[in-house]
Amino acid sequence: MKGEHADGRARARSPLVRRALELSSGERTRHRPRLGSMSTSLLNDLMTDHLDGGYAAAARRRAEPAAAGEAPAPRDGRVARAALAVGLLLAGFLLALAYRGTMRQAPESERARQALVRDVETGSALSDSLQRRAETLAGQLVRERDAALAASQSGDRVSTEVRRLEAAAAQLPVDGPGVQVVVGDASPRDQVDPATGEPVTVPADDNGRLRDRDLQSLVNALWAAGAEAIAVDGERLAPTTTIRAAGEAILVDLRPVSSPYTIEAVGDPETLQPRFADSDAARRYQSFTGLYGIHFTVRKATELRLRAATGQELRYAEPVATPSAPAPSAGSPRSPGGSPSPSGSATGGGP
Amino acid sequence: MIPALALAVGVVLGLLVEPVVPLWLQPYLPIAVVAALDAVFGGIRARLDGIFDSKVFVVSFVSNVLVAALIVFLGDKLGVGGQLSTGVVVVLGIRIFGNAAAIRRHLFRA
Repeated sequence: MKGEHADGRARARSPLVRRALELSSGERTRHRPRLGSMSTSLLNDLMTDHLDGGYAAAARRRAEPAAAGEAPAPRDGRVARAALAVGLLLAGFLLALAYRGTMRQAPESERARQALVRDVETGSALSDSLQRRAETLAGQLVRERDAALAASQSGDRVSTEVRRLEAAAAQLPVDGPGVQVVVGDASPRDQVDPATGEPVTVPADDNGRLRDRDLQSLVNALWAAGAEAIAVDGERLAPTTTIRAAGEAILVDLRPVSSPYTIEAVGDPETLQPRFADSDAARRYQSFTGLYGIHFTVRKATELRLRAATGQELRYAEPVATPSAPAPSAGSPRSPGGSPSPSGSATGGGP
Repeated sequence: MIPALALAVGVVLGLLVEPVVPLWLQPYLPIAVVAALDAVFGGIRARLDGIFDSKVFVVSFVSNVLVAALIVFLGDKLGVGGQLSTGVVVVLGIRIFGNAAAIRRHLFRA
């Protein structure tokens, strides 16, 4: 392709003449038929003249004095080199700038997602720590209350009653033998793609997803089998605890749990497992393992530790009509039995 | 040697400094980059052709970037920004390819 582009040879002709010569030269017509109109010549220029015309012009200018016999002007001096360096510096800077800008923008959605995930994690960490603190404080409260109640006969009775109610309301941590049930969504399956013959991973279909009612029926079956305390993924179930769905998520006591779900039930190890295994629910989910590929395992556990349920707010309370009503601080207990009397019970304040 | 070094330094500088491109400038950045690439490839090709000229290079680089940005700016104002951007990219892309082909012919004689 020699001669296709201006190659620095000084040609002291007007550009138009040069162009005409170029167009009429034999090797050019091979590539492009003679095209007369202005617009097609513009397209021709576009397709063939890639180099900035300035270079050719500058080369011509340089060559002219040389042809005239003088030494070429020292154009490529220090200034020109510095200008070149600065120009290329700018070019590189521009490229890096665009790269950084694109990198910053492209994963915008991804970063938003990450930020949300971080927020969620921070939130649940905070909630966990608050929960631990609430448990500690609740334990402290129980100790204080027991100490206060232990001082008197009737207090003892109240204390026993409170213990019984608390156990029933899952307000006390529980440990003991029981069963552990693990259920989980069907895992993605490996299939051979019929079209390509390549192995592909198929996400489990909707039938393989456990819903809130699945957990509900399992938990109910466990209660029916004689469980004394149940926790789902570590969330202790109190009488008022709900297992609900919010969209795709399952909430136990308003805390999200995720597959696989571990249901721990404390109860008589001799009867709990056989009775549960014999229940409709257990049999049903056992058959679902084959049908839909869900996971379902039941095993006996010798030592389970379930923590106390949380979030039981006091909804209805009535002062106890005994002389040893707690908290003798001024004004707070307006007991119907009369004016608050310390009555010698060592409540907090000491003797 | 020095030009290549300057280019590398520019890239490193841009990566290290992490300049924040102002929002109003961001639409013009891609076009400016294509224009800059065109100027750089043109410069390399001119050097191989033996007609390189620093002044022409710098002026063409700066003016290409500015004109490309100006075209996009005008297009944005006139409601044809997307089409004009496409036009600029097509024209400059053809030039880049042509120059790259010429460079290839110079380097590999093929």
